[in-house]
Amino acid sequence: MFLSELALGQKAIVLQAPETLPVKLFEMGCMPGEEIELVFSAPFQDPMCFRVQGTLISMRRELAAIIPITEPDAR
Amino acid sequence: MPDKKALRIALVGRPNTGKSSLFNRLTGMNQKVGNYPGVTMERTTGLSKWAPGVLAEVIDLPGVYSLHASSSDEEVVMNALFQTAPEEKIDRVIGLADGTNLKTCLFVFSQVLDLGLPAVLAVTMVDEMERRGMELKVEELSTTLGCPVVLVNARTGEGLDALRTAVLEAEPSRQIPFFQPGGVHLRWLAQVQEEQHLAIPYRAWLWGLNHVESSAGIEQESGKPPQRARTDEAIQRYRQVNQWLRQFFVADPVKDRRWTARMDRVVVHPIWGSIVLFGLLFILFQALFYGSEAPMNFIDDQIAALSGWMQGHLPGGFFTHLLTNGVLPGIAGVLMFIPQIALLFAFISLLEESGYMARVVFIMDRFMRPFGLSGKSVVPMVSGTACAIPAILSTRNMENSRERWLSIAVTPLITCSARLPVYALLIGLVIPDVSFLGLSVRGVVLLGLYALGFIAALSGSALLNRFTPAQKSPAFLLEMPPYRLPQLRNVATAVWNRTKSFVSEAGKIILAISVVLWFFASFGPEKTPDFTQEHEPIAIEASYIGHLGKAIEPVMEPLGFDWKVSVAVLSSFVAREVFVGTMATLYSVDDEDSATIRAQMARQVDPKTGQPYFTLAVGVSLLLFYAFAMQCMSTFAVVARETKSYTFATVQFIALGLLAYGAAWMAYVALA
Repeated sequence: MFLSELALGQKAIVLQAPETLPVKLFEMGCMPGEEIELVFSAPFQDPMCFRVQGTLISMRRELAAIIPITEPDAR
Repeated sequence: MPDKKALRIALVGRPNTGKSSLFNRLTGMNQKVGNYPGVTMERTTGLSKWAPGVLAEVIDLPGVYSLHASSSDEEVVMNALFQTAPEEKIDRVIGLADGTNLKTCLFVFSQVLDLGLPAVLAVTMVDEMERRGMELKVEELSTTLGCPVVLVNARTGEGLDALRTAVLEAEPSRQIPFFQPGGVHLRWLAQVQEEQHLAIPYRAWLWGLNHVESSAGIEQESGKPPQRARTDEAIQRYRQVNQWLRQFFVADPVKDRRWTARMDRVVVHPIWGSIVLFGLLFILFQALFYGSEAPMNFIDDQIAALSGWMQGHLPGGFFTHLLTNGVLPGIAGVLMFIPQIALLFAFISLLEESGYMARVVFIMDRFMRPFGLSGKSVVPMVSGTACAIPAILSTRNMENSRERWLSIAVTPLITCSARLPVYALLIGLVIPDVSFLGLSVRGVVLLGLYALGFIAALSGSALLNRFTPAQKSPAFLLEMPPYRLPQLRNVATAVWNRTKSFVSEAGKIILAISVVLWFFASFGPEKTPDFTQEHEPIAIEASYIGHLGKAIEPVMEPLGFDWKVSVAVLSSFVAREVFVGTMATLYSVDDEDSATIRAQMARQVDPKTGQPYFTLAVGVSLLLFYAFAMQCMSTFAVVARETKSYTFATVQFIALGLLAYGAAWMAYVALA
């Protein structure tokens, strides 16, 4: 499952990500093991805004589509 | 100039941590806008006395998410912290942390501490922490970090004295390093340390990973890409920060972020959000054009009164003529812009302060992408309606260099306020004052010119994007700050600084050109001017500018421009609105009032046909020429500065000039 598949208000856990992800994502606080929630999205569901580690981070759908996640209880 | 003994203190922290509030509190209005050493990026510094005999120069660095450079903002911060020259070296760092978002802020601060500079952590948003039931064990955190931690309320000024004292007494942290590079990287690190003479390991680590040649070395050494090293660092640091927070921070999660969530239900809603956005842009537009009318008229009246007084009271002659016809119009040309610039920056800074600007970028991103731009380009596009100069400056917070240069390339096409007087004059001259379907045709034409500016800018960007080699772009990542009540102090400071820098930078050029123009209009190659009479010192045809206009007449003729219009077009390369004043001079109108000039222009007769010279064809040709041409030396200078390339600015200038010529020519041929 990937981040782009989350429904509004749905929560998940970020999984170990491929190395092609921008480092800035990590530095902003979005990293493996953290809880992440889709808070809102722009028209056409792109970009999307997530809450992770207490901050709201928005990213384009194409990036959210390569960030692997899992259901909170599946951990 | 700062005193040599001044203590240089840098403010470092994430965006939206109240950095500018604290900066304004620490320095008052005593701020100076200049450039960072080695780069053309603007920076604000403030000099103030902190203790008897202690002068402090506070430097406001751009907000960053990490000390590693992902954007030019971060590059600037890194370079500033690495300065070693005595007059540029940073003596102390104030790290900023939003008390309601400590985790990510402490991440950056732990990087700062590892640089080995004397640092103090200022925790802001204290009132909000209280309201949300958050509590920080300041002393324990201070002991763990090995540096002072001070709670600061920039709104009330609480904690500022304690912060100043802590900064003056600060020493490098005793607890560093918080991050230790792993085994495989150690040999590479030692090499960078030796080559760059960097004793502190983390300095070498940062330097090496952010310089291409060195970072290639880490891949050879460890077999891992340099990004991986940065990722590892982030993970390690966050692990540590989380540990600190578990020990020293208590929060009530229920009270958290309720207000922002509620606001966002409306503000980023697909329908309500769009209504809010376009409503706000509409208000901005109205404010810029109607709100600035009264102050602009006031300035105009005052200048006219002063000019009249001078002519009545000063002895006639060269000097008085220079004052009233060269210097005063130049000063008027500068002052007239102040109301609009002040209003625009008040508006922008309100949007930024409140946290709404990030939402604008978020909502618009999808719509700007087809043009090779991102939502971030909306800011320069909207600002461009007032003036291209602040608009181009506002491209600095784009970390995607491609989007940034695209924005800079097309922003001068947006209809700026300097075009407005030209449009108003020409529309009044050639478009009949009639209504169509209850709409004023003149108004529709003006609106059409605005639309044309946006269409030209967007399609220009799409074309450039399509036909220039693509490059891998950094990801679009944007933090949505929580909504906050804007602080008037910050809005006022932003307006003051922007206006001041406009007056001192663009103002100088406008004034100088005005005097040069006066010279060209008052002196000629053959006749000596006569300043003693009531009339103009020299017939305009005998002046230098008359000769120049006639010289380029053959080039401008296909557009329907005679030598007088050519002279006005030439002189507007200084700044577009100069067109109106030059027209007034050329048709010897004493009154700078647009209606008087328009009436005089309407009386001009084409010697070839015996009909009025300013036909619809000439008018539309001129309007299109002004819509596309980069007739603004200040814009040229700012582009050259921001892109660090005179070639870029020159190519842009020529390309837009050709576009203008082509469009004007086609319009003239079609309508004549």
